[in-house]
Amino acid sequence: MIEFILMIITIVSAILALIQKDLLKAAILTGFSGGALAVLFQILLAPDVALTQAIVGAAIVPVFIALAVKKTQRGDA
Amino acid sequence: MMAETQLAILFTSIALVVIGLYAAIFVDNIIKKIIGISFIEEGANLFIVGIGYKAGGIVPILMPNMNTTWFASNASYPLPYGLVLTSIVIGASTLAVMLSLVMVLYKKYGTLSTKEMLADTSKQEEYNE
Amino acid sequence: MNELIPLMVIVPMMAALLLSAFSKFNKVIKCLALVVGICLPIIPLASNYGLHFFGGYQPIMDNVTNVIYHPAITYSFDFMQQIFIAMIGLLTFLVIFIYLTKYKKASGSYLFLLFMGTAAVTALILTDDIFHMFVFFEILALAQVGIVAASSIDYSYEMALKYMILGAIGSPMMLLGIGFLLAMTGTVNVTDIVSIIRGGLLDVTSPVFLLSLGLIFFGWLYASGLPPFHTIKSGIYSKAEPHGAALLQSFTVISMISIVLIMFRIYSTLPIFEVLVVFFSVVAMILGVSMALTQTDFRRMIGFLAVGELGFIGLGIGLGTQYALTAGLFQALNEIVITALLFIGFGAIVHATNEVDTRKLGGLLAYHPKVGIMLLAGGLAMAGVPPLSGFQSKLMLVQASLSCGYPELSILAIMVSIATFVVFVKTFYSMFLSPKPHDLEVVDNEVPKAMVFAMAVLLIVIIALGIFPDVVTSGISNYVGGLLP
Repeated sequence: MIEFILMIITIVSAILALIQKDLLKAAILTGFSGGALAVLFQILLAPDVALTQAIVGAAIVPVFIALAVKKTQRGDA
Repeated sequence: MMAETQLAILFTSIALVVIGLYAAIFVDNIIKKIIGISFIEEGANLFIVGIGYKAGGIVPILMPNMNTTWFASNASYPLPYGLVLTSIVIGASTLAVMLSLVMVLYKKYGTLSTKEMLADTSKQEEYNE
Repeated sequence: MNELIPLMVIVPMMAALLLSAFSKFNKVIKCLALVVGICLPIIPLASNYGLHFFGGYQPIMDNVTNVIYHPAITYSFDFMQQIFIAMIGLLTFLVIFIYLTKYKKASGSYLFLLFMGTAAVTALILTDDIFHMFVFFEILALAQVGIVAASSIDYSYEMALKYMILGAIGSPMMLLGIGFLLAMTGTVNVTDIVSIIRGGLLDVTSPVFLLSLGLIFFGWLYASGLPPFHTIKSGIYSKAEPHGAALLQSFTVISMISIVLIMFRIYSTLPIFEVLVVFFSVVAMILGVSMALTQTDFRRMIGFLAVGELGFIGLGIGLGTQYALTAGLFQALNEIVITALLFIGFGAIVHATNEVDTRKLGGLLAYHPKVGIMLLAGGLAMAGVPPLSGFQSKLMLVQASLSCGYPELSILAIMVSIATFVVFVKTFYSMFLSPKPHDLEVVDNEVPKAMVFAMAVLLIVIIALGIFPDVVTSGISNYVGGLLP
C-alpha cells in the first residue's frame, strides 16, 4: 500500500514544484519528489539504487538548484 | 496485487516524463525548465527499476547459507539496477552543467526568462551590427 | 595484440584527466598533449582485430539451449572501427597541434574536453552494448557543450545551453528506449539481442518494440543533427573555435554512424526503420543545402553543408544492401576529412581578417593563395568532383540507389551535389576572387603554419582516398557483410 502513497507523493510534489512562484520552494519540493522516489526504490527491492537516489535526488540536486537560485533571483518572473 | 504494482510504476514513470516534458517545453522560466528535465530523468530511472522488480520477490543479494535455487527463482533482476545507478549520476552532472551555464548567462541578461535569454541568437547578432 | 583495444579509450581518457590535473604546468601539459596526440592514430593501426571483454568475463554457453550469452561489456574491433578510429586520432592530433601552436598558454581544461570527446566517440564506435552507448552519448554531449562554451565567440554560452537542454530532453528518451528493449529481451548486449530477435523469441510486430525504435531514433536524430535539430547543430559549429568545429563535426559523424549501425542490427527486420532513416536523410539533404544557400556567415554555411552531407550517409544506411551500406560508411569517412579541411581553412581566413561575413570579404586569393587552393580542393571534394574522394563515395551511393530500384533518390542525390557545388563556388567566388572591398583590412597576413600543415595532411588523405578507394571500401564491405542477416 505504501508504494502507492509514495508514487502519489512523487507526482504531486513534482506538479507543486512546477507551479510555485518562489523558486526556492520549487527546489525544496524537487527534493521531496526525489526523496519519495528513493524510498520507493527501496520498496521496489533496489536498496543500492535507493541509497544513490537518496543522496543525489534528495540532497545534491535541490542544493544545486537552491545555489543557482541564490546566485540569480528567487522570484519566477 | 502483483500486476497492480507494476502497472502503477509504469503510470508513475509516464506521469513524471509527461510532467517533465511539459515543463521543459512550455514553461518560460529556465530553472523550472531544468527542474522539469530532472523529472524526465527520474521518470526514466523509475521505469528501468520497474523492469527489474519482481512482485513478491527478494532483494538480489545472495547470503552465504541461502539455497541458490530458491534464490534464483525469487530474486529480482539486478542488471537494470546497475544501469540506473549510472544514469542517476549522469543526470545530476548534466543538471550541474546546465545550472552553471544559467548562472553565467544571468550575469549577462539579468533575467531567467528563456524568451529573453535564448531568443534567436542570429537576430541578436544583426542588432549588434 | 588484443590488449590494445581498451587502450584506445583509456589513453585519451587518462590523458584528459592528467591534463586537467596538471593544468598549472604549461610545458608539461603541452608535451603530454602532443605525445598522446601522436599515439592516438598509431594505437588502432598497431592493434589486431578481435573482441575485448571487460573484466575478462568470457561468453557463457548455455548447455541446455545452446545459446551464447555475453556477460561482459564487449568491445568489437574490426577493419571499419580501425579506419575510423585512426582517422579521428589523426584529426585529434592535428587539432591539438593547431591549438598548441596558436596559444602560448595552453588551457588544461580545454584539452581535457577535446580528449574526452575523442575517448567518447572511440568508445561509441567500439561498443557492443546499448547502455554503454548511452553513457558515452551523454559524455560526448557534455564534451561538445564544453568545447562550444569555451570558445571566445559571442553568444557561445547561449548556444551551448540550448544544445544542452535539447540533449537533456533527448537522452532520457533514448534511455527509455533502451529500457523497453531491456524489458523485452533481458539483456543490453547487442549481439544477444540480435540473436534473440533472429531466433524468433521476440514479437517484432509488437508496439513496444516499435516504441523503443521511436525513442532511440529520437536520440539518434539529436546526436547526428538531422532535422529537426539541423539548426542547432550548425549553430554549435559556428559558435565553436574553427579547430574545435573541425573536431565537433567528426564527433557528430562518428556518433551518427555508430548509433545507426547498432539500430540497423537490431531493427533491420522492421521495414519502417529503413523508411524512417531514408526520409530523415532526404529531408536533411534538402534542408541543409537550401539553408546553406541563404547564409552570409560562412561558418554557418559550412555547418549547414555538413548537415546536408550527413543525409548522404543516412541514405546509404537506409537503403540497407551491402553495397549501399559500404557507400554510406565510405561517405562518412570522406565527410570527416573534407569538412575538417573546410572548417580549418575557413578558420584560417577568420584568423587573417577577423570577418565572417562573405559580403564583406573579397580578393583574398592574392593574400592567401595556398589556403585558397586547398579550400577549393576541399569544396570540390565535398561537391563530388573527380578524382577526389567525395566523388567516389557519391558515385557509389548513386549506383546503390539505382540498383535498389529507387532512381528518384539517385536523381535527388545528384541534384543536391550540384546545389552543394553552387553554394560552395558562390561563397568561394565572393571570398577569394571578387574585387577586394575598400573597407576590408587584412589584419594578419600570416596564416598560422600549423593550419596550413593540417590542411595539407587532410588534402593528401582526400586525394589518396579518391584515387585508391578500394583500400577502404573492400575492408568496409567485408565488415558490412558480417552485419547483414
